[in-house]
Formats: sequence, structure tokens, C-alpha cells
Amino acid sequence: MIKLGEVNMIKRIGRFLISFRFAIVLFIAIATYSIIGTVIPQGVSPQFYMERYQTFGNIMMILQFNKVYSSLIYRILLLLFLINLTGCTLNLLPSQLKRTKDSYFPSPRRDSENLWAKGQDIGAFRQGLVKRNFKIYDTETGFKAAKNRLGVLGPAITHLGIIVIILGSFLGNLFAYEGFVNLMPGETKTFAEEGFSIQLEDFYLGFRDDGSTEQYYSDLKLIEDGSQVDFKKIWVNNPLDYKGLSIYQSSFGWVSNFKIKDAEGRELDEGILKNNEQHFYQPKHLTIYLYGFYPDFSIDQMGQPMTASHQLKHPHYAVVLYEFGNYIDSYITEPGQAIIYEDIEITFEDSFLYTGLIYRKDFGYYFVLIGVFFLFLGLLLSFYFYPRFLLVEEESILPITRQNIWGYTLQIKKLLQTNDELKKEEV
Amino acid sequence: MDIIYFEELFFTLSFIIYIIASIGFFIYLASSKEKIGKFALTVSLVGFIVHTAAMVLRVIESGRLPFSNQFEFANSFTWGIVLCYLAIHFIYKFTAVGAFVMPLAFLMMGYASMLPKTIKPLMPALQSRWLSIHVGTAIISYGSFAVAAGLSVMYLIYEKRKGQGNKKSHLPDAEICDYLSYRVTAFGYLMLTLVIVTGAIWAKRAWSRYWGWDPKETWSLITWIIYSTYLHLRFNRGWKGKTAAWFSVIGFICVIFTFVGVNVLLAGLHSYR
Repeated sequence: MIKLGEVNMIKRIGRFLISFRFAIVLFIAIATYSIIGTVIPQGVSPQFYMERYQTFGNIMMILQFNKVYSSLIYRILLLLFLINLTGCTLNLLPSQLKRTKDSYFPSPRRDSENLWAKGQDIGAFRQGLVKRNFKIYDTETGFKAAKNRLGVLGPAITHLGIIVIILGSFLGNLFAYEGFVNLMPGETKTFAEEGFSIQLEDFYLGFRDDGSTEQYYSDLKLIEDGSQVDFKKIWVNNPLDYKGLSIYQSSFGWVSNFKIKDAEGRELDEGILKNNEQHFYQPKHLTIYLYGFYPDFSIDQMGQPMTASHQLKHPHYAVVLYEFGNYIDSYITEPGQAIIYEDIEITFEDSFLYTGLIYRKDFGYYFVLIGVFFLFLGLLLSFYFYPRFLLVEEESILPITRQNIWGYTLQIKKLLQTNDELKKEEV
Repeated sequence: MDIIYFEELFFTLSFIIYIIASIGFFIYLASSKEKIGKFALTVSLVGFIVHTAAMVLRVIESGRLPFSNQFEFANSFTWGIVLCYLAIHFIYKFTAVGAFVMPLAFLMMGYASMLPKTIKPLMPALQSRWLSIHVGTAIISYGSFAVAAGLSVMYLIYEKRKGQGNKKSHLPDAEICDYLSYRVTAFGYLMLTLVIVTGAIWAKRAWSRYWGWDPKETWSLITWIIYSTYLHLRFNRGWKGKTAAWFSVIGFICVIFTFVGVNVLLAGLHSYR
């Protein structure tokens, strides 16, 4: 049996959850928690926080300050916010719906200023109101006018938009999947679920006259059931959209060919290396580490190798050799220039570009767009199409609105003035 | 003489003119002489025209809108502040607001003048038609918030003076300041919503996700939440006057932090230099 006191308690908690006061508390809590996420580095290892923040590190880990936006606390805050927002909105909706009907007319408010003055042409004023899409209701002593009754639904529609955005992005993220793939020219990536593959035909950089990079281009073949169905050139800001999956130009890098020969020029081994990759040559227990390929080689202020541009102007390789894991030496070589170690020669040459692509599928985006539509509609209704009422009786013209009484009064004053001026001109 | 020379000349000139306008507005407030107010307003208008000329020259020189690095943002932001002020002036005939808005404009321009002005071609991520609508709405939104904050400061000073019984004042009716600040904030809020939404749509095309908790994104959301709170307090609690005015000022501090602070203090995808 639930006691009466408990029922009351539950009711009180329920009322608090959907109260305006709680909404403000949540606003502040979400903003504060978000700020923390921008100040404290996100997604780094727990040791980092321990070392950097000492004792506070423990507390920070408990409060999940290392991953604020995906933390349980943040999700609970958002859930409470959703409950609050839905509750607030539904709570107010019946009375708002009533106010959209013709039968509703508010009584004058304290801030309603009487705009009546002697000699006003009420007939012309009434016509002016009709022209401005006011609906007129005759009364015994004068008339009432109303406009934008639907505007009262503005906040509810705004809130609906926000609810759709939060729910849509949450559900979208649950089912979204994304990944990253590096492709060299000729290589293929298959998306089994969508039933198609992409093959990189070519990747290249576009340059401006000053040598700066203009764009990164990947030429992609779309392959379905073994045959090419389409071709698409993608670049940053121009992804490929196919069967719900989007493929984005994201990064690029260099791949370099290397050869190992003996003193007589016989080829012993060959392969390809990306920057920061290594190859182990078993017979000599030799590790060949490609520190970097520099298409436009230069040395920076710290004495480190760097590339001045991405153009193939002055190519060089930085290579480090290890034997049984022990450092032997490091070398800067030109393409085809041999690194001689004991009786073997190692050469690097023919470097070419590979592309880095992000692929992502996320239906949540479409919900966000729908939510955004409602959000804007609601805000426009709230700010610019808010309900306006007018009560005209003997010796009184009272503008009534909850939203923007100052601006509305100004509009009515202007309307009265233009009528007066027209009248004067006629005289 | 090339275009760059005139662009820099006009930039410096408008900077000086904005300072003169600000001083003019202060003298107007102190002296209550109508003529000085008109003078300050005319000076602001001249400054705006010269500033616009500088912007147009930059557009001609670079062949695109000036929206690609922090200097160009700050420069455009200044332009937006003055534009919003002049718009408010011509709609509502509020001369005195200039005393609180023009200093913001010349401070922002001072910040711009300290940044590297070189014209660089757009980096690949910025090559999109969303750039102009995203940054364009940001300029108008930030400009509106600056004017709203100016109006709120004006309101706060007015309230203080009222307490001291100082009758001789050129500040317009405090209540109007309060209302106008609210209306301008509402407009800025609508624009800020557009900024965030266009940013999200663009981010989806350029970076594969519409929201990624980049510091700039997060801070624009925080600013949006603060102004949401402001608007709710106004609607539901009728929190006009002082509390609302302070909220408006805090909101603008947030705007400035989102614009300048995030770039200087927090690393992220929006740190264009």
C-alpha cells in the first residue's frame, strides 16, 4: 500500500521536475558542465589527470571530467532537461490552445496604455486594422481586434524542435557508425552492409601559384556487384553520398618505395613504407625506419627536417637504421641515393600519395534538420508573430499583448498617427 | 598606389573616426547639447562609410568576402556592431546609445589592428558557400548583442542616476532602453541560432559530423543557453530591469569569449589565424 503522504511526495517531485525553476537550474547546470569540458582536456588517459591535477584528479575522474559530453552525468542532465521541457510544454499547451480560438480574449493588462485621444477617426483606424490583418469583433460599446493568435504556440513549437533535435541526435548516435580508411591508388574498400565498394583511382593535390595547397582530390570509382556504377571526384566540403553512407576527404600522406640490393646490384628485398613505418630485413637483423619523406625538403629552426610545401620540388628521405633494436645511424638521402650498410645498399624512391577518407552513416542528422525547422518556426512565431489584441471602447483604445507591449504599442500609435495625418491632409 | 595601401589607410582612418565618435558621444552625454549628439552621429556615419570602403577594397583585392581569419572576423564584427547601432538609431532615433556602443566598436577594431592583416587564400576546409552565410549571420548576431549590451549598460547607469536624483540627463527613458535591449537580444538570438545551425550543416559536409564539441561549438552553445535563460526569465518571471540588464551584459561577455577567448586560450578546429 502506498501511503497518502508518499503520493503527495511523488506529486511534489513530479511538479518540481516540470517546473520553470528547475528549468533554470538545468540551464545553468548544463552550461557549467559544458564549460568544464572546454577547459579540461578531453579523452586523455587517467594518468594524465592524476599527474596534472594531483588529488583533484580522483574527484575529476569520478565526476567524469575526462569525457564530459559522453558522461553519465551529462546524459542524466539532458534526460532531466528533456523531461522538464516536455512537461513544461505539455503543461502549458491546453491553455495555449484555448487562446488560439476566437472565443478567447484577454482583459487589459497593467502595462496597457490608453491611446485614445480626442478627434481620432475610429472608423479609419478600424479599416487600418483590417488592412493589417486584424480580425475585428464587434461589441456593444465598440470593437475588439486580434491578430496572430497562432503565435501563442511559438514557445511550444520551439520546444518541440529542441526535443526532436536532442532525441534525434541521441538515437542517431546510437546507430551511427563511422570509420577511417587509408587508400593508395588502386586499392579498394568494401562496405558490405551497403553492398558497394570504392576504389581509389587517383589522389592528388591542387596548388595555387604561390605554392600553397588549394584542395585535396580523391577520384573514386563506385563498384557494385563487380562492375563500376559511378565515378566521383571528392574534396574537402564535397563528400560522396551513396546509399546513406557519406565519404569525406580527410587527410593524406606519402608512400615510398624502397629496395635493398647487394654489392653486385642484385635485388634482395623491396617494399613500401609510409612515414613513421618500419621494415625488418631478417638476414641482417636490420630495422629500416622511414622517419619521413619530405617533398620540398628544408630544415626548421630546431634543426629538424621539414617540408616547405607539399609540392615535389626538392624530395628527400629521413631514414634511421637499427640492428637488433640498437641505433646505428640516421641518414638524409635523395631519391635513388644509396644508404650503404656493410655489404648492402638501401635506396628509397618513387614516392606517391595516398588518401585518408572518413566514412559515416548517421540518420540522426535528418531528425536534427526537422527539429531545426520547428525551432525556427517557433522562434519566429514567438518574436515576430506574437498574438496582438486591441480593445476599443468609448474613450479608450487599449493594446494588449504579453510579449512585446512596448513595440506593439508603438505600432498602434503609428497607425493612429498616420490616420490623423491623412485626415489633416484632407482638411 | 595599390589597393592594399588604400585599404589600410581607410582602416586606420575609420579607427580614428570611431574614437572621435565615441568621445563625441561622451561629451554629448555630459553636456546634453543636441548639436554634439548630432555631430557624434554624423562622425559615426562617416566612419562607417570609410570602414565599408576599406572592406570593399579588401573584397576586391582578395576576390572573396573578408571572413577567413581572425583579423577579418574582428574587422567584420566591428562593422556589424556599427551597422546594428546605426540601424537602431534610424529606426528608433536613439542618439545616446552610441556612447555605449561606439566604444565597443573601436575596442574591437583595436583588437583587429593587432592581428596579422595578410590576405591569404582560403584553406580547403573554408572553401564552401556556407562560409558567407555562417560568418555573415555571426557578424549580425554579435553586432546585435553588442548593441543590446550597450543598451543594458545605459539602463543600469540610468537607474543609478535616478537614485541620485540627477534630473539633467540625456539618457532616454530607462524603460525604453530595457524593452529595446530585449528586442535586439531576441533578434540576435534568432541570428545566433542561425549561426549554430548553418555551422552544423556545414560541419556535416566538411568534417562528417554536425556537432563535435569543438570549443567554439560548445561556447556558442553556452552563449545560446545564457540568452535562452535571459529570454525565459523575461517571458515567465517578468524579470525586467536590473536582473535582465546584467544577464544581457554577461551574455555579451560570453559572446566576446566565444569570439576571442576560445581562439586564444583553447585549441580547436575554429582557431583560424
